[in-house]
Amino acid sequence: MIWAKEETLPRKELEEIQLARLKETVTRVYEKVPAYREKMDRAGVRSEDIRSLADLQRLPFTNKKDLRDNYPFGLFTVPKKELVRVHASSGTTGKPTVVGYTRKDLQTWTECVSRIAAMGGATEDDVAQICFGYGMFTGALGLHYGLENIGAIVCPTSSGNTQKQIMYMQDFGTTLLVATPSYALHIGEVVRQMGIDPEKDLKIKIGLVGGEGMTEPMREEMHKLWGNDMKVTQNYGMSELIGPGVSGECLELCGMHINEDHFIPEIIDPDTGEVLEPGTKGELVITCITKEALPLIRYRTRDISRLMYEPCKCGRTTVRMENLSGRSDDMLIIRGVNVFPTQIEEVLLKVPEIGAHYEIIVDRKNHLDLMEIKVELADESLLDSYAKLGELERKIKTSLRVVLGLDASIKLVAPRSLQRFEGKAKRVTDLRKS
Amino acid sequence: MIKQLSVFVQNEIGSLAGVTSVLKDNNINLRAIASFDTPEFAILRIVVDQPEKAKSLLSEHGFAVKMSEAVAVELIDKPGALDGMLHVIADAGLGVNYIYSIVVREGKVPLMIINTEDLPKTAAVLREKGYTVAEQEDIKS
Repeated sequence: MIWAKEETLPRKELEEIQLARLKETVTRVYEKVPAYREKMDRAGVRSEDIRSLADLQRLPFTNKKDLRDNYPFGLFTVPKKELVRVHASSGTTGKPTVVGYTRKDLQTWTECVSRIAAMGGATEDDVAQICFGYGMFTGALGLHYGLENIGAIVCPTSSGNTQKQIMYMQDFGTTLLVATPSYALHIGEVVRQMGIDPEKDLKIKIGLVGGEGMTEPMREEMHKLWGNDMKVTQNYGMSELIGPGVSGECLELCGMHINEDHFIPEIIDPDTGEVLEPGTKGELVITCITKEALPLIRYRTRDISRLMYEPCKCGRTTVRMENLSGRSDDMLIIRGVNVFPTQIEEVLLKVPEIGAHYEIIVDRKNHLDLMEIKVELADESLLDSYAKLGELERKIKTSLRVVLGLDASIKLVAPRSLQRFEGKAKRVTDLRKS
Repeated sequence: MIKQLSVFVQNEIGSLAGVTSVLKDNNINLRAIASFDTPEFAILRIVVDQPEKAKSLLSEHGFAVKMSEAVAVELIDKPGALDGMLHVIADAGLGVNYIYSIVVREGKVPLMIINTEDLPKTAAVLREKGYTVAEQEDIKS
């Protein structure tokens, strides 16, 4: 179901709305935020120079560093008194990035998430279990209010305590699961280990996954565990922009529709900063045009995607962003070759003899980069002989070499021995950095 | 023919003990065990008195386990006994993949457990030459 009429506007009408909101936002940040004023002055661009959407390119980018440098509230356009909520990103190093919301921002956020939930099939009849960690992370509360707004019953179970999650699923008749793809897989594994058949014994029919990217093979794994009837869609967002609610997949599964009346997307060359032609792959840059407290201008997401303006069968006219092919931050450079962990995942999940979980360890010995990938043995029939297990290792190695152009050493480990994640998975360890 | 279990074990301290403690806790008697030094992981071969129960318990504890058949032949305690047995197998054109033994059998002779690519034929040629091939009942506690 299409939640809002703004999702089906003719492009011309949408662009008029975007331009008016962009002009207003740029004028406001220039007036209220010294950091923006300095940047724009340095770039020699004034608010009144923004006369068309193409003029967006003249504005300087905003980076995560700008949020850190202005920690905690320096980029906000409103006095503290007008804020009603703050969240912070899960930064692993240094200070987190802090984001703030006015009352109207929370309404905007709720609206954006309701649209995405509806795209994934959510309705007022759903019982939604939110298995994202609550707290400073935007994921849980974003989906919480968005689903509540739709009229679903929201169960804020948070992440962890998987056995209890499953008990609630059985007892409440949960129909909709919100989790990171890795945690949804883990819950599915535990469900199966407990001898529960999700297709017969549970009512879950919708999975709204986010917080980290999901590759297509991972979606297939999800169906293997949860059943083919489950509609698994992924959605995209980041706390700096609003939280979840920036974009989401509709049931046609052909990319994530961006809420364009709130966010203007661009794709740039991450090295030169130059805006690329529609349809080209590059770094996603987003400008928030309806946020009050923290409207980031041309925020560099570091996520690699592509924009598709062709009409979608679902009836929405909003642009779709291709499912992420990685984050430029996650990119590993191994012996000079650029490697995205998602490329490795795509290869591994197509090998039926191993499980869905993996770990990548990169190290440097004698000035040479080495990559080791741990995978769990799933096919017990290979235990006949060392030759069969060796053959499996060689097969994985060869497929990786074809995709990456690199040799990795494959290490088979026992089933269920790799770490499982209740939030975002951390599957890469780069020992070269420590 | 008897049943053996092949268990995937990682090259880590305590990994074999992880298998044996599951067996001990469930009163399963281990009749034979074989494993070799390998750098990364090992396939542990075991013969137990209750193979089906052992397989399902080990799977529940997260081990990758395969149950398969193996030929178990009685070995008389005299010089050249194993040599004779191996020649029978070689003369039939069969290659031995691995071999290990059950020694403790409460007064009975030891058993050699043999894996080849053709187990029924291996058992048949040995029987033909007068060797006693054991069945699963013969190794119950």
